[in-house]
Amino acid sequence: MRTIVLRSVGVAAIVATAATVWLGLWVTPPDQVQGTLVRLLYLHPPIAWVALYLAFGLSALASLLYLWRRTRSLFWDRLAAASVEVGVVFNALTLVSGSLWGRPTWGVWWTWTARLTSTALLLVLFVGYLALRRVPADPEVRAKRCAVAALVAFVDVPIVHFSVDWWQTLHQKASVLNATLSPTIHGSMAWTLLLGFVALTLVFVWMVTVRYDVEVMRDRIGNQELEVSLAERRAEGSTGAVNTPESSSDGIASGEAGSAEPPVGGPGHSTPVRLAAPEPTGGGR
Amino acid sequence: MKYVDAGYVICLSVLFVYSVSLWWRRRRLARAVATSDVSSERGRDREREG
Repeated sequence: MRTIVLRSVGVAAIVATAATVWLGLWVTPPDQVQGTLVRLLYLHPPIAWVALYLAFGLSALASLLYLWRRTRSLFWDRLAAASVEVGVVFNALTLVSGSLWGRPTWGVWWTWTARLTSTALLLVLFVGYLALRRVPADPEVRAKRCAVAALVAFVDVPIVHFSVDWWQTLHQKASVLNATLSPTIHGSMAWTLLLGFVALTLVFVWMVTVRYDVEVMRDRIGNQELEVSLAERRAEGSTGAVNTPESSSDGIASGEAGSAEPPVGGPGHSTPVRLAAPEPTGGGR
Repeated sequence: MKYVDAGYVICLSVLFVYSVSLWWRRRRLARAVATSDVSSERGRDREREG
C-alpha cells in the first residue's frame, strides 16, 4: 500500500513538474517589466517555499517532538534528518535560481543584502546539522544534539522571511505570502506559480519519504553488524574460557567476558558496554 | 532567455540527479539489509551451536 502511494506521489510530482515547465516556458506571456525573466519565478519561489517552510519547518517540528519526552522516538529524529538533507538541496537551488534571476535584473550575481545573506546563512547552518549527524555517537545522544541544532538553525527562517520588511534590500517584498494574504499576480501567471508550488511540494514529499527509508535501513544495517560482531566476540570469549581459562589476561577473550565488569568501553562508550553485558552461560537460549 | 534556460536546466537537473541518487541509495541499502538478515541469522545459528 505504502509503495503504491509513494509511486503515485512520484508520478504526480513528475507530471506536475512537467506541466509547470511547459506552462512556464511556453504558455504564459512575458511580463511587462521583466520580460521573459519572469519565467524563472515559476521555479524560484516554489523552491524557496519547499526549502524554508516545508523542509526546515518539518525538521524543526520533528526535532521539537523528539525533544519532548512524551513523543520521543527515533522516528522524529530520522524524519528531521531526511527533511534537512532535502531542504539543503532546495536551499542551494534557491540561491542558484535567485542568482540567475538577479544577474540580468539587478546587474549582479550576488549582493550582501539581508534576504540573500540570511538565506546563505541558513544553508551553512543546516549543512552544519548534516555534519553534526556524522559525528560518531550513541544514536540517542546524536538525536538529541541534532534536534537542538535544528531548532537553533530554524531561528533563521523567520529572519529570512521578514528580512525584506525589516531591512532595505534589493529583494522585492512578498508577492504571495504578504501581510494581507492577497497575491499581487493574476491570470495564467498565478495558476502556473500555484502549480509550481504543488509540483515541488509533491517532489519534496517523495524525496523525504525515500530519504527516510534510507535512514531506517542504514540504522538497521548498523545494528545488525553490531549484533554479528558481538555474537562473534561472545563465541570467541566462550571458546577462550573453555580452552585456556587462566592463560589469557585480556578482558574480552578470557574469563572476564563472563564477569560482572563490562569487557570494553567506559562511560563514554555506552552502546558497546550495554550490548557487551555478560550473557548467561549454558543452554538458556 | 539564456538565464531562464540555465535556471530551468540547473534546477531540474539537480532535482533529477538527487532523486536518482536517493532511489539508488535505497535500493542498495535494501539489498544490503536482505544480505545482512541472512548473515545475522547464520551468526545466531552458529552461536546456538557453539
